[in-house]
Amino acid sequence: MTENISNQLKTSFLFRGLPTETLDAVAQKVSTRKLTEGDVLMRKGETGDSLFMINEGWFKIVTQDAQGGELIINKTGPGETLGEMALLDEAPRSATVIALSDAKVLELKKDAFQEILDQRPDVALSLIRGFSSRLRFSTTYIEKAIDWSQKIAAGDYSFTENTQTIVNGGSTDDDKATQLLSAFFKMVKSVKAREDELKQVVEKLTLQIDEARRKQEFEEITGTDFYANLKEQARQLRAQRKASDEE
Amino acid sequence: MSSGKIVSIHSFRGGTGKSNTTANIAAQVALAGKRVGVVDTDIQSPGIHVLFGLDETKMGKTLNDFLHGKCSIGEVAFNVGEKAADAEGRAKLSGTNLWLFPSSIRGREISQILREGYDVNLLNQGFQGMLKELNLDYLFIDTHPGLNEETLLSIAISDVLVIILRPDNQDFQGTAVTVDIARSLDVPNLLLMVNKALPKHDPKDIKKTIEDNFKATVAGVLPLSFDMAENASQDIFSLRYPDHEWSKALRGVADAILAIK
Repeated sequence: MTENISNQLKTSFLFRGLPTETLDAVAQKVSTRKLTEGDVLMRKGETGDSLFMINEGWFKIVTQDAQGGELIINKTGPGETLGEMALLDEAPRSATVIALSDAKVLELKKDAFQEILDQRPDVALSLIRGFSSRLRFSTTYIEKAIDWSQKIAAGDYSFTENTQTIVNGGSTDDDKATQLLSAFFKMVKSVKAREDELKQVVEKLTLQIDEARRKQEFEEITGTDFYANLKEQARQLRAQRKASDEE
Repeated sequence: MSSGKIVSIHSFRGGTGKSNTTANIAAQVALAGKRVGVVDTDIQSPGIHVLFGLDETKMGKTLNDFLHGKCSIGEVAFNVGEKAADAEGRAKLSGTNLWLFPSSIRGREISQILREGYDVNLLNQGFQGMLKELNLDYLFIDTHPGLNEETLLSIAISDVLVIILRPDNQDFQGTAVTVDIARSLDVPNLLLMVNKALPKHDPKDIKKTIEDNFKATVAGVLPLSFDMAENASQDIFSLRYPDHEWSKALRGVADAILAIK
């Protein structure tokens, strides 16, 4: 059991670099919690003090949309870790997590984790390494996203031509930044496609008529004897045809 | 009994695709089972005969002969439904009641009529004769661009005037004058048709802008088409390519004319 937990701990970026011995020590502090469908594992805005590792079952991660409705951000299942930041900071939970089925999670309480930190300085060091590499990784992507955003704002979509489409990564934490960039890239592509389509019909028709010239030309044409006769002839002809129609 | 309708197709400037449009509308109306005549009053530069597959070798008596008193108007009629099944699109006109009254394409005869002139009243008698002799439901007049005397006559005696314009300011200016003239002459039905619309404009926007300005119905907005240019007036485009966007919009115009009581 401890070994299984240790293996699962390793998938979290917080514990990735720790030796097995240390992981086992952490695993000792873990307790098991069972949930049934609809149970709330954590609620957005609450102060969290536990890390959870999903052992069985599925969860939805939800927040609220602009209208106050439920917005499902993601679904997550066995092997995934939730709320790991709560072990270090006191910040409120950023989303609500609700069980989609009967589920079993492993819980590591903040206090228990603090105890390990006191006893094992290498755990603290590993954490710092984990954070800094993650930060560096994220920064690269953020810089890229800033660069792209500035280009899009200026109407320059050329980078979509010379950038290899980013393959949507797996579901590990480190891939989240890649996923964001991938989604961003897809978004830009579709925005560009829509913009190109709109350009085809976007120009409004302008209609300009020189009214003075219009009046002058009209008067030139209608001012002749021919025109006066024609108007009278046309009137008679219409009257005749109307009469013959009624016969 | 009800007499047929005179439908003049006009554009203030050349190059709007007027002859092509006239031929296509006439063909569609004939296909709808109506008895249709098409008269080419563009005596200076006749062209519509080509669309109906008529060339110098096939051309018999012309409107010029009639205007010079050399023949009756009935003799000028060229039966398209009987004779012009030599192209894929036109073949669909076999068996329809469609006649063309061509203008002469012989240079000597064109210069003669331009030099000597003719009695515009005689042209009017010709129109009335066409309607009567062939018992037409519709007589389409392909007019000369601008507003010369025979064009004014055609407009004056029309039951329906269709003005073709391109979406540009020069055509708007000329169309404005023509619309004023049509209203001054009490033409009962006025339709506008936009041809050669560019893809950068929204057809709905074109229709609304023009209708708001001229207070007249835009019966169709037809796209500028390379396929149409490719066809080079060798055939009736809307019959040959019935599913083309241009053809669909054109049928809308033909339907608008048929809907007029």
